[in-house]
Amino acid sequence: MDQINWHTFFFLLSALGACTFALMVVFTSNIVRMAFFLVLSLTSTAGLFFLAGADFVGAMQIMIYVGGTMVLLVFGVMLTAQERFVSLKTSGGTWSLAALAGGALLAVLLQTAFSVDDWKAGDTAQAGQSQTTATRIGLGLLGARFDEGTSGYLLPFEIVSIHLLVVLIGAAYLARAKRRAKPSADNPADRSD
Amino acid sequence: MSTDVDDPRIVEFDVRTDEMLVNMGPQHPSTHGVLRLVLRTDGEIVSEVTPHIGYLHRCAEKIGENLTPRQWIPYTDRMDYLAGMNMNLGWSLTVEKLLNYELPEKARHLRVIIAELNRIASHFVGMGAYGLDLGTFSPFLYAFREREKILDLFEDACGARLTYSYITPGGATDDLPAGWLKKCETFLDQLLAVIDECHTLLTTNEIFIRRTVNVGVLSPEMAINYGCTGPVLRGSGVDHDLRRDGEERYTEMYDGYAFEVICETDGHYPSDHDYPPVPESAVLGDCWHRFYVRMLEVIQAMDLIRQAMDRYSTAEGDYGVPIKLFEKLPKGEVYLETECPRGQMGFYLVSDGTSIPWRTRARSSCFSNLSVTEELCRGVLLADVPAVVGSLDIVMGEIDR
Amino acid sequence: MAEFFTTNLIEYVSLSEAWATPLGYILAAMIHIALLLNVVAVGALGFIWLERKVAGRIQDRLGPTRVGGRFGWLQTLADGLKLITKEDLMPAAADPFLFRVAPYVAFCASFAAYLALPFATGWVGQHLNVAVFFILAVLGIEVFGVILAGYGSASKWSLFGAMREAAQVVSYEVPLGLCVIVPVMIAGTMDLIAIGDMQAGMVWNWFIFHDPFTFITFWVFFTCATASVNRAPFDLAEAESELVAGFHTEYSGLRWSFFFMAEYGSMFLVSVLAAILFFGGWNGPIPITEIIGLNETNGALAGYVGNLLGMTNLIIKASLGVTVMIWVRWSFPRLRIDQVITTCLKYCTPIAAMMFLGAALWILYLPGGLWATLRLSDPLGHTREAAPDQQAAAMPADGERE
Repeated sequence: MDQINWHTFFFLLSALGACTFALMVVFTSNIVRMAFFLVLSLTSTAGLFFLAGADFVGAMQIMIYVGGTMVLLVFGVMLTAQERFVSLKTSGGTWSLAALAGGALLAVLLQTAFSVDDWKAGDTAQAGQSQTTATRIGLGLLGARFDEGTSGYLLPFEIVSIHLLVVLIGAAYLARAKRRAKPSADNPADRSD
Repeated sequence: MSTDVDDPRIVEFDVRTDEMLVNMGPQHPSTHGVLRLVLRTDGEIVSEVTPHIGYLHRCAEKIGENLTPRQWIPYTDRMDYLAGMNMNLGWSLTVEKLLNYELPEKARHLRVIIAELNRIASHFVGMGAYGLDLGTFSPFLYAFREREKILDLFEDACGARLTYSYITPGGATDDLPAGWLKKCETFLDQLLAVIDECHTLLTTNEIFIRRTVNVGVLSPEMAINYGCTGPVLRGSGVDHDLRRDGEERYTEMYDGYAFEVICETDGHYPSDHDYPPVPESAVLGDCWHRFYVRMLEVIQAMDLIRQAMDRYSTAEGDYGVPIKLFEKLPKGEVYLETECPRGQMGFYLVSDGTSIPWRTRARSSCFSNLSVTEELCRGVLLADVPAVVGSLDIVMGEIDR
Repeated sequence: MAEFFTTNLIEYVSLSEAWATPLGYILAAMIHIALLLNVVAVGALGFIWLERKVAGRIQDRLGPTRVGGRFGWLQTLADGLKLITKEDLMPAAADPFLFRVAPYVAFCASFAAYLALPFATGWVGQHLNVAVFFILAVLGIEVFGVILAGYGSASKWSLFGAMREAAQVVSYEVPLGLCVIVPVMIAGTMDLIAIGDMQAGMVWNWFIFHDPFTFITFWVFFTCATASVNRAPFDLAEAESELVAGFHTEYSGLRWSFFFMAEYGSMFLVSVLAAILFFGGWNGPIPITEIIGLNETNGALAGYVGNLLGMTNLIIKASLGVTVMIWVRWSFPRLRIDQVITTCLKYCTPIAAMMFLGAALWILYLPGGLWATLRLSDPLGHTREAAPDQQAAAMPADGERE
């Protein structure tokens, strides 16, 4: 038996994890379990990032997707997990439609994937280069990519920041405690700490 | 109490999706005894609290119709079991009032020592357990350490640590043993340091202040309307203490003693001692003030005990021999309220001329104090409910009898 | 280590190379895992004992004194054995899968963060150059175990506890991240080994003494870390007097002990992180190992012993941090959830942001720190190195400076 390529082994493991858990998300009918399997699927994807040498992006995946988005998702899911929402069964018609759409997308992706003759490891295959991933990303976002000769991504960064601020303010506004028409003794919104 | 949530089976089928009916107790680390609180909450905010009592009802009053007054003393112990001596005292004074009994001087001072010592012990439990409710574990143990010393003193005096049956109609079951006064004085001398420690950990602690200030504010009018008494009433600024304002037969026990009623009058508390300052954000009638009144009452009780010890040593008479076991009670009815650590405890005795009462009734202070919970807990956060209930310092034995 | 196993397997057990290589790797990996697992497990054992002793002493009593001699060393072990033999209960209405998986999620999150945590130069599970970020990210997963436990227990009380904790941990990730960025900025790297090595030398090389902003940042970090691991005064998730036991009310026996171990594992983790980021990590107040020559230049054994001493140093510092957390727990009442969130949003976050700004300006205008600017040096002649100039690092990477 040939020497095991550990890289391939772990890649297959993570990929299998990502795909399996994604499938379980689709096939389970309990909404909280769905959220949990999505967590596991995203964690496996983070594993893929680590294997590709992108430490920073992998950690970012864990922090943002797994940590941030999923907590919110689980919150929302649980708070709506009333009797009628806990179990979401999909009908046969929906299944066939979903299979059609999913199958079509899968076919397109597979065809694209196999059309690339040579998956290059890229000139960033060495560990030394990957050590500077975080620095390069940071400099790129600040618009100082001297090595590439480009101007970096400062403008998109700023646009995204403003966008995020707008979203936060909007969310806070939507979720504000609404004051009642007449103040009453038991209005918790009037209670000051 | 409202009537539409009293069916305990209807807990889960609430139609509105954002309200929860939550059950606290009867077994729960923070309801002081077996109390069941049904809370209607909207997320974290409580809109309604319904106390359900009766889990500790032992038919004490009915049993009193079959026993002579001296035989009923142990039952009074077990009402407010943390202040057993005061319960005994209340009942003994009631019986003595019916009999028109004259106590020897020494017995009177003995009773002051014992009652005030028990007041300190009871406030320690209330204060320590309150800290426990709020999440601080150490003052509870410091308070109990000191309470152990008091319980040792009581064990020397009467042989029991919790249910004493010491003070009986006529006096007490026995005199204080030799050397008891010395031990008591040693105890009092080191108590002030511990109280200062507890002040640092609780009364003036920033987090404690944040948890209790402006929480469960009880206005004086509401306190009087609901019949609240004791530190709950005085914490709202109503200057009323039965040791000074009560019936003749009770106030003559404290005749000649100098003590301050702990209550905020004209915006400030008595200044005979170096008390910790009142935080600016504190509102009269909130949990912090009720706690503060209890802490200060401990120091006043220490003063009273010292005075009583002096007088006891020089008083004439004996410890007060108890009345005969089957002493015939004159026909009539009496009611007497005394200032117990938790409020005004009243005993009502109807006699038909035999040695066994026709009716005995205990008016519980905690019962009225607890009844104000629903008003206080409207619109508070869930974490404030133990803070409010703890500040009322209730004992279920007294409420349920 | 893998090559060591492989070559020996080929030589002594005469396995073919095809079999020996994977087996060597597996053996090496398992030893690494066992070592790390023991850090968490034995650490939890030790810290639970420490908690009970310290709590006892604060409360004017002794704590465990019987099991394992006069000081009750083995009390936690006895408790663990008892917990293993307890009946495995599950509420009838609970979701079986989520109920069972929740403790493991919490424990794995706490444990996985140790992968990137160095204990001495080169002594780390996996040398990541984004170690700080990775640890913070993985710590955030622990809240999942809590949420799943709260939900899976099918009890309103557990749900309450889980919701509170989730809100708390998620809120405190923000100031925690801000506080962590300050020493990362000073060091110019997220690599924990590099951060530790940069603080070699005398005590004034420690980042906490680098500038007043970092000094304040440490205290904010400690507060936020205490909130992140749900220790009092921020422990409403397990508020005994209100919710019986919060999200783990329905757990008993070994399942509950997983949560317990996760909590102490996290406490130790954030303490080690604080020690490395602020207190010099494995470098002591005085560079003893250098003075007596216990470093790599004098041979492998000397290097090993030097590292061992460094690791002991680090563990002592982290234990002090854990002791302070224990001390605070048994002294203060608990904050209400709205007060916890207020503390985070109105106090910790603005202060952390101001400290971040201050530290950034400090580095900009006093690049070597105060000490280098004043040209101070320690007895061995080390001067405090200038923090890496950010702009210089932007030049095409030759791979050696991050």
